Amino acid sequence: MTEAIWSRGGGGDCIRLTGLPAGADVRVFPGTAVPTVSLPPMAGRLERDGADLCFVPRFAFLDGMSYTVTVEGTSAAVLVRPRPERPATTEVTGIRPTAGEVPVNLLRFYVWFSAPMSEGYAAGQVRLARDDGSIIAGTLLPTEHELWDGSRRRLTVLLDPARIKRGLPSHQEAGYPLRSGKPFRLVVGEGFRDAQGLPLRHSAERRFEVGDEERRHVDPVSWELAVPPAGTCEPLQVIFGRPLDHGLLARCLHVRGPGGELVDGTARIGPGEQSWQLVPSRAWASTVHQLVVEPVLEDLAGNSVSRVFDRDLTRSEDQSRPARPVTIAFHPG
Amino acid sequence: MGEFRLEPGRVSLRSAGPITFGPAGILFMADNAAATVFAVDVADPGPAGGAEPFDLEDVDARVGSFLGCGPGDITIKDMAVHPLSHNVYLSVQRGHGDAAQPVLMRISVADGAIDDVPLDEVPFAAVAIGDAPGEDDERLDTTLPLGDEGEEMQFGTLKIRLLRQPIRTATVTDMAYAGGALLIAGLSNEEFSSKLRRIPFPFSAGIVGSSLEIFHVSHGKWETAAPIRAFVPYDGGASVLASYTCTPVVHFRLADLTDGAKAVGRTVAELGPVNQPLDMVSFVQDGEEYLLVANSAHGLVKIACRDIDSQSPLTEPQQPVGVPRETKDLQGIRRLANLGGSYVLALQSDDAGRQHLRSLKTASL
Repeated sequence: MTEAIWSRGGGGDCIRLTGLPAGADVRVFPGTAVPTVSLPPMAGRLERDGADLCFVPRFAFLDGMSYTVTVEGTSAAVLVRPRPERPATTEVTGIRPTAGEVPVNLLRFYVWFSAPMSEGYAAGQVRLARDDGSIIAGTLLPTEHELWDGSRRRLTVLLDPARIKRGLPSHQEAGYPLRSGKPFRLVVGEGFRDAQGLPLRHSAERRFEVGDEERRHVDPVSWELAVPPAGTCEPLQVIFGRPLDHGLLARCLHVRGPGGELVDGTARIGPGEQSWQLVPSRAWASTVHQLVVEPVLEDLAGNSVSRVFDRDLTRSEDQSRPARPVTIAFHPG
Repeated sequence: MGEFRLEPGRVSLRSAGPITFGPAGILFMADNAAATVFAVDVADPGPAGGAEPFDLEDVDARVGSFLGCGPGDITIKDMAVHPLSHNVYLSVQRGHGDAAQPVLMRISVADGAIDDVPLDEVPFAAVAIGDAPGEDDERLDTTLPLGDEGEEMQFGTLKIRLLRQPIRTATVTDMAYAGGALLIAGLSNEEFSSKLRRIPFPFSAGIVGSSLEIFHVSHGKWETAAPIRAFVPYDGGASVLASYTCTPVVHFRLADLTDGAKAVGRTVAELGPVNQPLDMVSFVQDGEEYLLVANSAHGLVKIACRDIDSQSPLTEPQQPVGVPRETKDLQGIRRLANLGGSYVLALQSDDAGRQHLRSLKTASL
């Protein structure tokens, strides 16, 4: 009589088999039964351990998975890999933009999670919904490639650019994914799994009003600067006049001193991504400084400093601008 | 493999991504989590492949069974066919989250046998592909790793291991080898741009290649750029047909791409609404070169290369638009690769979500 149990052996987890005749044909298949079609057995090796045989898998057993052991082609045992019982602890910590109103040609969201996440759930768990809870279908870019940061805590979600770019059949036939004057919610379902395979503690959402389309360059020259007094560590405040992209804001603005040196300090993005401030770590010198704006900085609709999202060739103001940083001089007084 | 500057060692893949064969059976493997492309001598053991088709039902269930999991626990990220043996290579992710494991699988066309390709001690070279973070971008997200990743930090008497990862990343969506260089299309997780990276191969230390942005014009009125989702070199590598996430199909010649100069491709077709390009391949039929475009909404689209060359830029937004094309009644195809000259191998999902390998006879396409 063959007996099979979870055990340790061969340097890792194994299935320990007792009572086997010498030279027995032992195979392991994932699942609760011998496959009815011809499938290869699980890769691994058999190691003799005293009177027992140990099946040591080449790829680790998966938590919660069942495994069927066959001896001479007949099912001898079914083992279920235990799944550790843990409470869900991961949650959504932020949805960007935070602006209350977004342009109808909004391009991008960022969703921040409190812990690293699993890939493969974005398409099913992130959606746009109307106030009555109904799903607005066909709005998000269906992609095989989820866009995560290096630690898998920030997910970038794109609205379907084919419906935002003018002149394309998608835009002409279906229009913008959003509708001006029609509020919507970005909803992250609790079924989104974290890197441990656990669902979220609860779903999360953010509601947005929808305004008109935004087709202009990001124009740093039009920004309003609140210049701090020299000799203080009061912040330099920059007000954009429209919300900008949160991810890009975090790396596209810097301040340089008179010698071109980077002014060290604490940068903060203001409410609704409509402003930015820098608190210097040392008091401002009474001399000319430069606010440096990288040309890739975008607004919520994908218009950047150097170019608009899709350029109307008949409009001279839509022409691309040099792809180099824009500098704005200010003098702490 | 000295001529390709491959050195023996362990290829430490962190994630499974696009794969494609280059010269001498070298497999390029994109690892998006590590922002690296590896060039690996896979030492394919097979004899030269013949002109026979190769079909395999339930390839996802077979690979899953071999890896000790169900088909729902594996994701076939990409497929490539060895140019000589015709053995099939699959870039597979097994499991999810922290348990996810990238695996390179090889399927023998001789008998359908499935095996994983060990990457512990193989000749390889590597090149970084992340948009090189500027000196201004020092943003790192800090987490507590489960294993021994990251670095140990001392806080008073307390030692904590911290893992710091970049926030800005680039995701490779497609790759191809042409004209002595690896071409890489990708998506940024921040800016919306159309970057095609060209990295000379063999890789050289310090050479990251050039990054080119190819604009296209919609219907003579709007000029735009978008990430390239899939592309295929043709005409001996002189031309490229690229399909964008916003679905225009755009032609450009590699020789016209100059570093730092603005490049505008010629829109020759539209894949249409609520559709995404998935993969492209070129093949020869009766001495003429054709392209196949796998897409998410319709059957395979077949385009004659001679029609691309003669197609003027699209100016009419309404259908029918662009090059003459034929839509084949072949649904659910996600990946394509040449299986010798007589067949194109397709990875096809059926209505139940099961995945199969199917050979499409080029003479009949």
